Amino acid sequence: MGDTMLTALILVPVVAAVIVMLLPANRKELALPVGFGLSFIPLAIAGYLFFHFETGVAGYQYTQKAVWYEAWGISWNLGVDGISLGLVALSVILVPIALAASTNITDRTKEFVVFTLLLEAGLIGSFLALDLFLFFVFFEAVLVPMYFIIGIWGSERRIYAALKFFIFTAFGSAFLLASIVALSVLHNQQFGAPSFDLRDLMSLDLSLSQSRWLFAGFGIAFAIKVPVFPLHTWLPDAHVQAPTAGSVLLAGVMLKLGTYGLLRFNLNLFPQAAVDAVPIIATLAVIGIIYGAIVAIVQPDLKKLVAYSSVSHLGFIVLGTAALTSAGFQGAVIQNVNHGLTTGALFLLVGMIYERRHTKQIADFGGLAKVMPIFAGLFLFTAFASIGLPGLNGFVGEFLVLIGSYSSIPGFAAVAAFGVILAAIYLLWAYERVFTGVPDKPENQKLVDLTPREIGLMVPLVVLMIVLGLYPKILLDRTAASTEALLDRVEQATTYEVPEPGRLADVFAGITEGDE
Amino acid sequence: MTFAQVLTPPSVGWIAIAPEIVLGVGAALILLFDVQFKPKKSQLAFATALVLVTAFVFTIVQYDRVQTFNSATTDQVTDLVAQAFPFNLMIVLDSNAVFGRFAMLLVTGLGLAAGWRLFERLGARAAEGLALVLLSAAGFTFMASSTHLMMIFLGLEVGSISLYVLAGITREQPRSEEAAIKYFLLGSVASAVFIYGVALTYAGSGSMNLLEIQGIVSRTVFTRPAVLLIGIALMVVGMGFKVSAAPFHSWAPDVYQGAPGGIVGYMASAAKIGGFAALIRILFTAFPDFASTWGPLVAGIAALSMLLGSTVALVQDDVRRMLAYSGVAHAGFILTGVVAGGAGTSEVWFYLGVYTVQLVGAFGVVAAVAGAASSGASIDSFRGLSKRVPFLAATFSVLLLGMSGLPLTSGFVAKFGVFTEAWQAGYEWLVIVAVLASVIAFFFYLRVIVAMYMEEPVDEAVAMPGLSVRTSLALAALITIVIGVLPGPLLSLAGEASPL
Repeated sequence: MGDTMLTALILVPVVAAVIVMLLPANRKELALPVGFGLSFIPLAIAGYLFFHFETGVAGYQYTQKAVWYEAWGISWNLGVDGISLGLVALSVILVPIALAASTNITDRTKEFVVFTLLLEAGLIGSFLALDLFLFFVFFEAVLVPMYFIIGIWGSERRIYAALKFFIFTAFGSAFLLASIVALSVLHNQQFGAPSFDLRDLMSLDLSLSQSRWLFAGFGIAFAIKVPVFPLHTWLPDAHVQAPTAGSVLLAGVMLKLGTYGLLRFNLNLFPQAAVDAVPIIATLAVIGIIYGAIVAIVQPDLKKLVAYSSVSHLGFIVLGTAALTSAGFQGAVIQNVNHGLTTGALFLLVGMIYERRHTKQIADFGGLAKVMPIFAGLFLFTAFASIGLPGLNGFVGEFLVLIGSYSSIPGFAAVAAFGVILAAIYLLWAYERVFTGVPDKPENQKLVDLTPREIGLMVPLVVLMIVLGLYPKILLDRTAASTEALLDRVEQATTYEVPEPGRLADVFAGITEGDE
Repeated sequence: MTFAQVLTPPSVGWIAIAPEIVLGVGAALILLFDVQFKPKKSQLAFATALVLVTAFVFTIVQYDRVQTFNSATTDQVTDLVAQAFPFNLMIVLDSNAVFGRFAMLLVTGLGLAAGWRLFERLGARAAEGLALVLLSAAGFTFMASSTHLMMIFLGLEVGSISLYVLAGITREQPRSEEAAIKYFLLGSVASAVFIYGVALTYAGSGSMNLLEIQGIVSRTVFTRPAVLLIGIALMVVGMGFKVSAAPFHSWAPDVYQGAPGGIVGYMASAAKIGGFAALIRILFTAFPDFASTWGPLVAGIAALSMLLGSTVALVQDDVRRMLAYSGVAHAGFILTGVVAGGAGTSEVWFYLGVYTVQLVGAFGVVAAVAGAASSGASIDSFRGLSKRVPFLAATFSVLLLGMSGLPLTSGFVAKFGVFTEAWQAGYEWLVIVAVLASVIAFFFYLRVIVAMYMEEPVDEAVAMPGLSVRTSLALAALITIVIGVLPGPLLSLAGEASPL
């Protein structure tokens, strides 16, 4: 059973999409509830996988490999490890929430649900694929549903935003495709048969220049997806124009394809090039952290503020990756999940107020805490989680990234730490302008507080923020072995040595010594 | 020698050209039938379908025959060579020829079904049009199965001249007439260039038989190969015209825009299959030893086609012109596989097969939206199509995404195949150009999808097309997705095609 579970995880959303598509045309009010209900099946499967995942095992679990087309060496090759597990869980959690948050979509509801479910299948597939061909297929395939979600159900400038999103990503994918082709040809030359299996390709003997070029090819594709400064310009447009569900899934999961790709493919396949590129990546990451935060401060539009805050938070993930230490990797993996939860929640909240007031301009609000106390409370709570208040989930990831990078690249860590302070500024200042004071605008005085449905959407996210903040061990236990293995891979393939106390063992040694 | 032995007819490999005979005789019979009995349109449709199916059955027989050739033991070889190369080595029965026929017959069937409304509108000229379609199909498949330059030229002319007439078959419309004249003039020039190349090749090598040329070329050290090289170049240029590769593409946008909507998909696809079949036959069979010479030439044409086709397509406001320029880009992508030499044969065939199906389907949608007998199809008439006729919008989207090479469509597998071959052959720069051109190409395919799905509908009423059109379009879209998900069987079939 174990070996078909991952396939089921990908196929169930596809089947669900087909079921929704086949619903009678005159019963379009059924689409959303049916899609929502069906999206619990992947959630259940992923939940089972998550809790039966063997901690302390570095390799891929629940693997399945079936030949797809032998002559080209492509296979349906799936597996999950600590690096991808959290992201899979995040995807299946956010999709039902995104669907439930979309009751305001009345035009072509059926298509919307279908696209969302197909998006889910593509995202999960990307995280599970261990065959580069298969990965590329999923990586590209997610573009189409998201393109339609932004382009059909977005706001005024949706077509521009959708096109920009598609073209930026497709441009990066072009380099990824060329690099994947090159890898398979190299494998054919060195081993006499083409292969796209990640584990086969890791044994390739690459010259330094080959390794650097291919690293760049993969890197550009993932950097656009993250997005790393200066390739981030598509993100604010896409987020501002996308419908709430689109923003939630885009920020929550889709951007993680980039950070996940860097960790999984760039580090595994081209370790030497990765070690050499650390200064460049870290510089761009830190610029992203600071730049994203500063631009977020001055945004007059609440949704754009959250979008730029994503640029800043994702900078932390990239920095953790570039740190090449246990804590850095762990922080990056955890922050992937945490950012999905908090930013997803922030986009939901922005969506809720937009539905009531049809504006996202901070200046149009003021004193909302008086009229919508529950909304204000949830917003403040999520903001704290996002800022990284100790005890909430955001803290764990960013803290790990900072200590991880401090042991290997301390200068970058020092600058990045300012990002945490800036995050407090932009979120709390936004909170102040939107919620505190007296509600002096007449439109704001009659606003209704959150409905039970809207509160229900937030509850699972809030619970997860607290749980992961207080007891991150749930995730850390599952990621530790995989991130250690990745670090071993980098260390063995290159001259790089993890500085003390960059290893997990070093940290634990320090703790036990302290106890004595 | 006894009397009986004298009377025994010589063994003629009719089976090698059986599909062409069926198509040609079928075309003639349809014309006679039309004159004598004035049949109804449905009877004509039935007759045409019968011809196509018969030809298809013969192609399956051929496929079976080729399988026995391929699995033959050495002591059977001498016996089988005569069967595989009948007509004094002028015709060949091999996997290339068979795959070419499969693709051609499929495209003909889909194209006729998708554009059937045109033939309904043509009145008394319907039978004429159908006969021309069958004749041109025979000509182009003949190109795929010839190993003699004269035979290739014969097939080329039979196919091309039929297409010139088809372009102008709605002759009461000035733009259709204009398209026919343009196509005829430029096409004739291309044929002339090609035949000049044939002449120079003959002058340089002393033979017009591709197999003999290959033998001569491999045995001879040419001190002054210029005549032969110019001959190769001119033949490449001539075929470049036919497949609308840049810079020999200038006829394509005008012709595709002006020709009647119901037939233009077939025209574009058939010319591409015939042209590429002959091109790879000539280059891979006769001149593998000159690969380092013609490789860069073909690579240059490929790069230019991809870049020019993709960029110029961006600014087209007519969907048919856009598809014409996208066809230029696709010619470039296919040529990317051609530069790999014989190793790229199967990838080229795969690409041709899936692309022509998409092309026929796409023009079928255009014909359903903008009229099967009309010229031109402004992008404005596609606005909000998803709300007016969701079926057409959905199939068109699948086909366009397939052409753009998005994963899970056949177009992606096709592109991946030719890119891998070109990279393997050492043309890394060409692959980089190709992937960038595919990104540019996304823009204009998406532009149509944006118009269909994201813009407000225009008032133009579009009728839901008839059953034959719907079936054909649905089939084209289905093939695009199924081959995209499960490319194995078709890749294996195309993989059997290899140069002689």
